[in-house]
Amino acid sequence: MSRILTVAQMEFLTLVKTKAFLLGILLMPVLMAIAIGFQVYAARHTDTEVRRFAVIDGTGVLYDAVAAAAAAHNAEKGEGDAQTGPHFVPERVDLAGRSADEAKLALSDRVRAKDLFAFIEVPAGIIDAGGDAESVRYYTETPSYEPLPDWVRDVLNRAIARERFARSGIDQSLVERLNARVPLASYGLMTRQVDGTVGQARETDVIATFVMPFVFLILMFLSVLTGAQHLLNAIVEEKMSKISEVLVGSIEPFKLLMGKLLGVAAVSILLASIYMAGGIFAIFQSGRWDLLRWDLFAWFFMFLVCAVLMYGSIFLALGSACSDLKDAQSMMQPAMLLIMLPYLASFAIVRSPDSPLAVGMSMFPTVTPFVMMMRLAMPPGPPLWQVFASVAIVLAATVFLVWAAGRIFRVGILMQGKAPNLPEVLKWIRA
Amino acid sequence: MSAIHLDSVTKRFGTHVAVNDLSLDVPEGSIYGFIGPNGSGKTTTIRMIMNILLPDSGRIRVLGRDDTRAARDDIGFLPEERGLYKKMQVRQLLRYYGALKGASTKALDPVIDEWLRRLGLTDWADKKIDALSKGMAQKVQFISTIVTRPKLVILDEPFSGLDPVNAESLKDAVLELRRQGVTVVFSTHDMASAERMCDRIFMIFRGNKVLDGSLDEVQARYGHDTVRVRVSGGAATLAGLPGIEAINDHGNYQDLRLSGDPQAFLHALVQRGAVQQFEVTKPSLHDIFVRIANPTDAEPAAAEVVS
Repeated sequence: MSRILTVAQMEFLTLVKTKAFLLGILLMPVLMAIAIGFQVYAARHTDTEVRRFAVIDGTGVLYDAVAAAAAAHNAEKGEGDAQTGPHFVPERVDLAGRSADEAKLALSDRVRAKDLFAFIEVPAGIIDAGGDAESVRYYTETPSYEPLPDWVRDVLNRAIARERFARSGIDQSLVERLNARVPLASYGLMTRQVDGTVGQARETDVIATFVMPFVFLILMFLSVLTGAQHLLNAIVEEKMSKISEVLVGSIEPFKLLMGKLLGVAAVSILLASIYMAGGIFAIFQSGRWDLLRWDLFAWFFMFLVCAVLMYGSIFLALGSACSDLKDAQSMMQPAMLLIMLPYLASFAIVRSPDSPLAVGMSMFPTVTPFVMMMRLAMPPGPPLWQVFASVAIVLAATVFLVWAAGRIFRVGILMQGKAPNLPEVLKWIRA
Repeated sequence: MSAIHLDSVTKRFGTHVAVNDLSLDVPEGSIYGFIGPNGSGKTTTIRMIMNILLPDSGRIRVLGRDDTRAARDDIGFLPEERGLYKKMQVRQLLRYYGALKGASTKALDPVIDEWLRRLGLTDWADKKIDALSKGMAQKVQFISTIVTRPKLVILDEPFSGLDPVNAESLKDAVLELRRQGVTVVFSTHDMASAERMCDRIFMIFRGNKVLDGSLDEVQARYGHDTVRVRVSGGAATLAGLPGIEAINDHGNYQDLRLSGDPQAFLHALVQRGAVQQFEVTKPSLHDIFVRIANPTDAEPAAAEVVS
């Protein structure tokens, strides 16, 4: 046992001391903050151009509304250094006896010459057309730029609606009031309190219901992958630099494997704890005490340890069967798919945590920790029998995988040359 | 008591017989040399002694124990392929390898310091392995095999790839181990050092034991049919003389293997030119090795299997 701990300690220290690990822990929140901050800044500040566009107003009555809306828009976006968005500057096109095509060709040339950014053609009959109206046409050289067409669409639709109401002699404000949508608030269930009174249901909380499951899912991914990936690389490196033979001359392969697994499990727990501490700090700051559910933390660490042991065993077995990193990377693909599975299914699981898919996946050992964790994080949580069944399944699977990996490890670690195929690996397990 | 005892051990890989019905007895406190061409079964034999591989049949006793796993902590093992963590510091690595054998840092440190000093590595104790030269790394690996003060040390090709100075200091270290009563088994391709250092020599060829005994015994088995001659005119003078089976031309002198009577040969030789030296010697281990493993007439070797 003490030798397992020796290996575990060494594995833990080497992984924790790597620059990648420290940078990963420290930099990840910083990087995320920078990324979000940059996006917000970029969204606000990059596009401060003046977008000139021409309007061929076939109806003859809509241009003024566009010009007024543009003036309001430009005022809202501000001037100079305080400007937070593009200015839209329309100009009215007078056909002056030209054909429409001639006029559009001339406008196109102006767009090419960068004198204009785009131009719009509003068909004459659009106000009276009703349901099957023609499109308003937006001509540009830069179709990927969407703010202008989006803005034009909104402005024109509002202007056209106003015009249509006016022409029909209907009071638009009355219609809007009659059409107003009613909000729907989502609640949990009523409860009977200990003192006999009826407890009020609480309004459903987006953070508790949707955010928490994903937080746990991603945290578990991160912790498991950090550890498992390291194990794979470390074992292949040990094989390539012939350290394995020295090690198995001193310690039984199974003890070596257990030591490595425990060391990495400790790292995963450390990693998850650091992020959790950050999360708890955020909860303290925001005062959302209701999000603090200690039972979830307990489940999380239990499932995390199982997941690390399972995936650690799989990756160690894979690594020990390969003799270079390239082999290992390609053998890793199927294992990665297994890890990605719960992530791919996560939206379906959150939408319907008691669906056969969700229940089935939470009973499939290698994805159980991820899926069950998500379901536990969503109130009211899965039925108790399912929780216990999944725990039993995941523990049995963990024991089996560690055992099987030990068998593969024992043979694989001394093998050099070609990577074995699946039947050979199965033979090692049975041998 | 014997440190290692193999009794009719056989190991197959698929249809290939790597080690065939091998029996061996390594007495305690001796230096035992394993020789043999590449791929003849040396490493497989060593791995079975280390319990890294299990024999298909036969019995292995190490340090008086049938369960070789139990003996493992008393064995120091230097594998043929060196393996050190490149990013670890020398002392840290030696402590780790020692701890894997169950030794405490407190017990290890004096031994580590002593051997680092002896092999001239004291200044390197806090350097990372990848800063070391190949020779230094090999010496560190050697120290890692003996830091736990094992009773038995197995060294697979300990001197290969070392410059003469480093090789010499490792040989001194091995002799020092014997003085301390440690049993040393080492495999080597360097016949001169095997001849010089080993109490007993064991040769394996194509999985079979072909030699086993003290140097004298081995040489006696191959007869006194080797003659060292120095004649005016060198090797050319010898051409065409009857009774020469093989010539090993060293330039200034030649070693000959004769089929007939050496005296008759000397008589014939004197007719050819001035004989400066004529010495009936024992065949060198090198010659014996080549004679057994010579690829041009490989088959006779099978007939010389020692039972």
